[in-house]
Amino acid sequence: MNRFDATICISKTLTDEPVVVSLGHPAYDLFAAGDRPLNFYTWGSMGLTTSIALGLALARPDRRVMALDGDGSLLMNLGSLATIGACAPPNLIVVVMDNGKYGTTGGQDTPTSGAADLEATARAMGIRQTATVRDESALTALLDLSRRTRGPWLVVAKVEESSPTAKPPLDCEFIKQRFMGALGNPEEKEAART
Amino acid sequence: MHSTARQGQPEGGTPATPAWACGVCAGLHAGGCREVVYVPDNPLSHILEVFKRDYPDVRATLAMREEEALGIAAGLYLGGARPAVMMQSSGLGNTLNALGSLLLAYRIPALFVISMRGGAGEWNSAQVPMGRAVVPVLDAFGIRHMEIERDRSAEETVRAAAAWAFGSRIPAACLLPRSLTVPGGRQ
Repeated sequence: MNRFDATICISKTLTDEPVVVSLGHPAYDLFAAGDRPLNFYTWGSMGLTTSIALGLALARPDRRVMALDGDGSLLMNLGSLATIGACAPPNLIVVVMDNGKYGTTGGQDTPTSGAADLEATARAMGIRQTATVRDESALTALLDLSRRTRGPWLVVAKVEESSPTAKPPLDCEFIKQRFMGALGNPEEKEAART
Repeated sequence: MHSTARQGQPEGGTPATPAWACGVCAGLHAGGCREVVYVPDNPLSHILEVFKRDYPDVRATLAMREEEALGIAAGLYLGGARPAVMMQSSGLGNTLNALGSLLLAYRIPALFVISMRGGAGEWNSAQVPMGRAVVPVLDAFGIRHMEIERDRSAEETVRAAAAWAFGSRIPAACLLPRSLTVPGGRQ
């Protein structure tokens, strides 16, 4: 399974859940697989995808919230797994596209191409619902299971690198305002409270 | 009703809650903050105590690193909350790319409460360079900052900073100098 196959697989399962996606190739793939207002495309802040999703999951316990992260990005912020283990938001699912590479910066190896194991790390940090999947049918089954059980979930999807075909909008404020509007807490209403 | 009037009463032999900590909490609450993300520091622990004791509607979330705290705060804002982030001055150095490429780029506001180290009387030389850089760094990013100079100005200063941050959608910072948080004491 390559990363774009996995992204299409995830995209097909999405309904009303917001998705926070890591910058670079994971964001390009999610946009190509199916743009939607509930996709929050990051363009920077590498490492913070899962943390943004955690904050959103805490603020919106009524919604299932997905982080679509990469192995290189999550390795920048492993402490976020300890925070998730401690907060234990039941509505959070973190999917890590693990290709063992820094795909966006030229394909240099990350430690998950060797001994590093992100699922084991998550478990060691107190995240009890975890899995590693290697094909589309296992990924689809896991996403289905994660909907029917309390999280937080961390799913490592072992993927091969693929070439992105499109890029999301570059206007960060547009991405944010569209996202918050689709979530039902539009920013104009928030600013009017001031 | 939360006010600074309740401060200063020793209970069960424990030290009085400092007035500035009550004021900061009252200001954050009046400014609409019900979510506080923090990395610990000694003076900040007074603020956390007041929140725990007097403000059951405020949730404090511990982050492992200040950069992570900004990510969590951004997610809280996207979900409709008004986040505050508390850190020591050293921690501001850990936030900078998140500040630039997430909060400022997407115009996501948060109110920072920064416990200062590295000023006059600092005993730890490792705290001095980052402490001295806090104001120039905030200025370089265009982040408005206000120092809380006295106990009685704490609530109003924090409330004004919150109004600025959430009205402009640009983060603002309240600085807590050691002359306020550890008056006459060892730094």
